[in-house]
Amino acid sequence: MSKATPDGRRQAVQASRMNLWRLEWLRLFRTPRALALGAVFVAFGLIEPVFTKYQDRLLAHVGNGIRIYMPPPTPAAALSSYISQASVIGLVVVVSLAAGALSFDAHRGLATFLRTRVRGLWRLVAPRFTVNAAAAAIAYLLGSLAAWYETQVLIGSLPAAAMLGGILCGAVYLTFAVAVTTLAASIARSTLPAVAIALAVLLVLPVVGTFRSIENWLPSTLLRAPVDLVSGTHQLPHYLPTLAVTVAVTAVALTIAVRRLGAREI
Amino acid sequence: MTASGAQVVAAGLVTTSGLTKDYGGTGLFDVDLAVPRGSVYGLVGPNGAGKTTLLSLLCGIRRPDRGTIGVSIGRARVAVCPDVPEFDSWLTGYEAVGLARSLVAPTVGAEQVLAALATAGLSEAAGRRVGGFSRGMVQRLGLACALVGDPQLLILDEPTSALDPVGRAEMLSLVAAMRGRRTVIFSSHILADVQRIADQVGILRDGRLLYQGATRHLIDTYLKPTWTVRLAAGADQVAAAMATAPWATRVERTGPDDIRVDAVSIEAGERGIPAVIAACGARQVSCEPAAADLESAFLALTGARP
Repeated sequence: MSKATPDGRRQAVQASRMNLWRLEWLRLFRTPRALALGAVFVAFGLIEPVFTKYQDRLLAHVGNGIRIYMPPPTPAAALSSYISQASVIGLVVVVSLAAGALSFDAHRGLATFLRTRVRGLWRLVAPRFTVNAAAAAIAYLLGSLAAWYETQVLIGSLPAAAMLGGILCGAVYLTFAVAVTTLAASIARSTLPAVAIALAVLLVLPVVGTFRSIENWLPSTLLRAPVDLVSGTHQLPHYLPTLAVTVAVTAVALTIAVRRLGAREI
Repeated sequence: MTASGAQVVAAGLVTTSGLTKDYGGTGLFDVDLAVPRGSVYGLVGPNGAGKTTLLSLLCGIRRPDRGTIGVSIGRARVAVCPDVPEFDSWLTGYEAVGLARSLVAPTVGAEQVLAALATAGLSEAAGRRVGGFSRGMVQRLGLACALVGDPQLLILDEPTSALDPVGRAEMLSLVAAMRGRRTVIFSSHILADVQRIADQVGILRDGRLLYQGATRHLIDTYLKPTWTVRLAAGADQVAAAMATAPWATRVERTGPDDIRVDAVSIEAGERGIPAVIAACGARQVSCEPAAADLESAFLALTGARP
């Protein structure tokens, strides 16, 4: 055995602290994942209130002389604009990044490395799910704080309690989205089909939610909770059943995903 | 057991009974494997013979349709290295091996990580990101990850497939040196590699185990009773005498001083050739048996043409 250099020894000592949780942390920060997540949500948080504030002027510039009368901007409208972008483009980014981490069976060599060393698929799935869900929730929080600040400066104040309740609902929904992605990764082996399946489910849910009788039981209802809370349409207790259902469905999706992944052959 | 002409091998570290994985006519069928503890077991066979399927079943990433697998050690003492190891490209070599350590041997320290990397010949490159490694280096990294837990059973799928000649020689020496300390099961297309380091061999064709046993026994079985004799002088007289000998089936002059002689059996030739040379008073330079190797045995067993 060749003699290790002091730098090599130091790196080996650091490497001996590696585990599946640190692996996910490194995945987040050594790849553009954390940056992409943060940038997308914060950018929308900063841009949408500005757009809401000045949309009549912006539309006048592109209207070829046609005068468009817009209602005066409100804090709820600014937040709604942010939520609508975050719930589509932000969701696509969250699902894509989570699917990349959770589709570990897409590469046979990597799958063999992990599956022959890890006992129990939950041990493998838990860090990937948790870190991705936490990263999505934090990115959503940062985006919401940015939107809150911009709205406060440009348009008017937003009620703090309602904002915090809305952020909670959004974070729970994104956690559910990552669980759906985990389930999709247990159905499709490759990343792209997993993204397609997860997005199909997540984008169809709001359409299903147009049926009044079931809308309060669908996780997608949480998407518009922040706007309804700040506009005073509903209070947080109104969403408690939806939150409970979402948490339960998240747990069920993860359980099924782990069972399916455990039954999969490489 | 389906293997014909196989030596009876005592129950070993790894045994299978009637192991079957049917992919609709292809796959693996009724394989009774017996890998002795401490042996280096080479698994050979043509493409599609079922080598990777068998190794996948042994390491648990596929499940058999029928049959049983017995491994008489805990799963943590089994290490697997696929033919194309893959790692997250943004990890360093240290981190990849460190991750493997945390999963199979969390109690061992950084020294074991350094030792595994050094054994695989990656000490100098271990601080670099895996994304910049060549395929050969990734294969070495796969071996380092396998060795870091000090496994008792090492399963290697085509361990030399991506290595240059020097790397291949080093890998073979490394595996050969494990004999007695670890049990190694490895698959290879390169029969010379298997012959060089494997003391046990299993030959698969169309998902069936055709032969299993000692490599030497297999080669000896297919060793032809043919020799090339080189003499300092008197080749004509010796050739004539051999042609009349009852044990010789064919005598042919292949050069001014060279005779190729076929005998009825190895024993008859080994006894008869020196006797004829001595009786003729000729001076022998050399007497070499016709080359017999795993390749000729493999070709004979599988019915393939060279």
